[in-house]
Amino acid sequence: MNISALGKAVSIQSLGKSYGSTRALDGVSLNIAAGEFCTLLGASGSGKTTLLKTIAGFETYETGQILVDGVDVGPMPVSKRNIGMVFQNYALFPHMSVRRNVAFGLEMRRLAAKEIENRVDEVLALVDLTAYAERLPRQLSGGQQQRVALARALVIRPDILLMDEPLGALDKNLRQSIQLELKRLHAAVGATVVYVTHDQEEALFLSDRIALMDKGRIVQASTPRGLYEKPANRFVASFLGECNFIPSDGQEIAIRPEKLRVGRDLPGCDKKLEGHVTAVNFIGRGFRVMLDHRGAELAAEVDASDEIAALRVGTPVAFGFRSTDAMDIASI
Amino acid sequence: MARPAKAGRGFPVWLGLAPFGLVLVVLFAVPVLSLLKLAFGEGGFTLVHFHRMIDVPVYRSVLGTTLGIAGLVTVLAVLASYPLAYVMATVGPRARSLLMLLVLLPFWTSALVRTTAWIILLQSNGVVNALLMGSGLTTTPTAFIYNLSGVLIGMTHVLMPFIVLPLYAAFSNLELSTVQAAESLGAGPITVFRRIILPLTAPGVVAGGMIVFMNAIGFYLTPALMGGPGQTMIAQMIASNINTELNWPFAAALATVLLVATVTMLALFQRFFGLERLIEGGGGKAGEPFTVTSRGRSPGGWAAIVAACLVGAFLIAPIIIVFPMSLGSSPFLAFPPDSYSLTWYENFFGTTKWVAALTRSLQIAGLVVAISVVLGTLAALGVARMRPRWRSTVETIFILPMIVPVIILAVGLYYLLAPTGLVGSIWGVTLGHVVLATPYVFITVRAALKSFDGNLEFAALGLGASWATMFRRVMLPSIAPGIAAGAVFAFITSFDDVIIALFLTNIRSRTLPKLMYEGVAHEIDPTIIAASCLIILVTVLVLGGNLLLTKRKTT
Repeated sequence: MNISALGKAVSIQSLGKSYGSTRALDGVSLNIAAGEFCTLLGASGSGKTTLLKTIAGFETYETGQILVDGVDVGPMPVSKRNIGMVFQNYALFPHMSVRRNVAFGLEMRRLAAKEIENRVDEVLALVDLTAYAERLPRQLSGGQQQRVALARALVIRPDILLMDEPLGALDKNLRQSIQLELKRLHAAVGATVVYVTHDQEEALFLSDRIALMDKGRIVQASTPRGLYEKPANRFVASFLGECNFIPSDGQEIAIRPEKLRVGRDLPGCDKKLEGHVTAVNFIGRGFRVMLDHRGAELAAEVDASDEIAALRVGTPVAFGFRSTDAMDIASI
Repeated sequence: MARPAKAGRGFPVWLGLAPFGLVLVVLFAVPVLSLLKLAFGEGGFTLVHFHRMIDVPVYRSVLGTTLGIAGLVTVLAVLASYPLAYVMATVGPRARSLLMLLVLLPFWTSALVRTTAWIILLQSNGVVNALLMGSGLTTTPTAFIYNLSGVLIGMTHVLMPFIVLPLYAAFSNLELSTVQAAESLGAGPITVFRRIILPLTAPGVVAGGMIVFMNAIGFYLTPALMGGPGQTMIAQMIASNINTELNWPFAAALATVLLVATVTMLALFQRFFGLERLIEGGGGKAGEPFTVTSRGRSPGGWAAIVAACLVGAFLIAPIIIVFPMSLGSSPFLAFPPDSYSLTWYENFFGTTKWVAALTRSLQIAGLVVAISVVLGTLAALGVARMRPRWRSTVETIFILPMIVPVIILAVGLYYLLAPTGLVGSIWGVTLGHVVLATPYVFITVRAALKSFDGNLEFAALGLGASWATMFRRVMLPSIAPGIAAGAVFAFITSFDDVIIALFLTNIRSRTLPKLMYEGVAHEIDPTIIAASCLIILVTVLVLGGNLLLTKRKTT
């Protein structure tokens, strides 16, 4: 498919929007490079969907501006923005076949019938739905409907592909296989993608960059590794993955459970501390040990061993970590 | 709700079905079938009456007029309903309830009152012409009534709810994201309407349109009072063949044609509902319903708001106009009245014939409520305990009197009861109303029984209650609101009816609507307006009382 590198850069500049007295968007700024897969991650009510809808043009904003390829799209109606949108419930036209659904955007662009047919065939082959072209949406499974929605958005060669929790309605196995598919498609197509999700694993798996949102603001925007390993503050550290906060000399050390070691020998650990075992649970790839350290509850995920299996609740135990694994975070 | 067959003990199915079944056979099937028999020849089989219908140009044109008017009314109702349904789906809950009230009020206002009000509004010295000429838009009165426009206005007004309600449901089922998907693919407002909204709301419109058409072909009062000779419809032709030409077999043949047309429409409607499909949507999670986002309405949306306001005014105008008019003191109908008084109410309550007619109407409605509540409740209980196999057939039979044009029932009952002398007493019209009203009770009680948890019944029986005790202490209290609603519908059906009364009462047994009809058909006396207001008040009191009772029950 030769629609690669058609994506355009998006620049969001101090966007503000209120619903009554609540700030839905509170000065959001974000630059998304052409061809980048950027995920807006956050809990419900964090403003991620509102931000997506303002980029699409479904919602207005009061301050700031959105530039696509350097052009302010604020005054442009949705229908002129050349965006591809994939909705959480797919929003397929129930009265049209798969082929007509996919052709709709091309018909709006008044392409010749022949070219429409060719491009629809091409994109249906890309999402592996050629055999289903004449079916109605309700005759398809959830995963197939999902792919139709994607094909319908991609076929118009959008400047930006916007996806609003597109995998939210699917079960876990299907979600994982479609995540792989999405990654493959993004690599093949090279579109600029803005992807909204509340699922942190999905965000880590798919994204070039993640913008973590809370209360209408972007708290931190970085690569998945950057966000996980160098969280800017306590909120980011605990939102993305789990994080222990160990009190130490009036300060706190932030460290991930998988970076803690437990037991008599603590190989490689330059920080060694003492605690009491409060729970030991087998979780498949190892054990999850809960510790009480000076009143703070800590979680450690460690490899299975006889020593760990023999730990008893209430007994004292040594634990430690490498000081280079401790994360430097702002105290707020 | 699945019930084991043995649950039938305690209340036999036949006891529920038999009483209303018997009434339907004697007072519905027999009269209608004897009309059919009459149509095909009393002595031997003949199609001569049907040939006459086609051969005589006058009759042929009446058939054409009937279909034409019904078609036009259907189209007008659809056109007027679209903006209203769109606005209902996109405004706040308060404005929505208000619009819903506007739509339903004409439906619950007696046909005669509505028609009277329209005549007052539209006649050559009426309110609309006064406004038009006063503002200088016209110099001579425009003829709105006693012609096609009068019939279309009157019929569209009352039949609109049948389209607005399913259309509103279709708009509510529409998902915001479906519309947004089309916009994101490059569709402007007009394309979104034409390619997305129109096809997705079409099933609701077709369903409503079929009901409107089915109703419209049997209309009698509105074309008779608001149309001219050129708008004679088949129901009027039936009546005139009986009342003036005394040609019963030909009237029966016309009734047969009307009946066949209605039943065909009904069958088509059921077929259509089997195909009900498109509204379900494209799967996935049900999304946010269609609404207006922070971008506001498109110019088309604002045009729809304006159109909806006009339609709303159209719906409410005749009903609100009668109240100030009834308080005027001049015998000439002017709006607004020059001075206000209670003259016409005094006249109403001071004239024996009006008071007698009102008393008789209330008496008849009371009897109808008592009888139809018993029949309808028993029938609903019986149907609920039936084996599922025949249930839908019996249900269809039990609501048939609501569907068959009233004129057919009226003429059939007249044919059957005229020799018995019941026509001169209140019993003829009471029996006719019972046939019309019981289906309403049946439907509301049936709905109440469907939401009644069958396990409560088993629990009470399991605790040792007899079926009668269980019914009295457990089931009856929970279906009481359904019975009350059915009683309200039964009361209004009887109290507002003109057509049955037209055939089954005489000067000694006439009801209030019949007396009004006689007045309206000749010349409108302001006392009729006072009577109209009284009818609206009684209806509103009964509806409001029921609403209060159910409110108290739920809070």
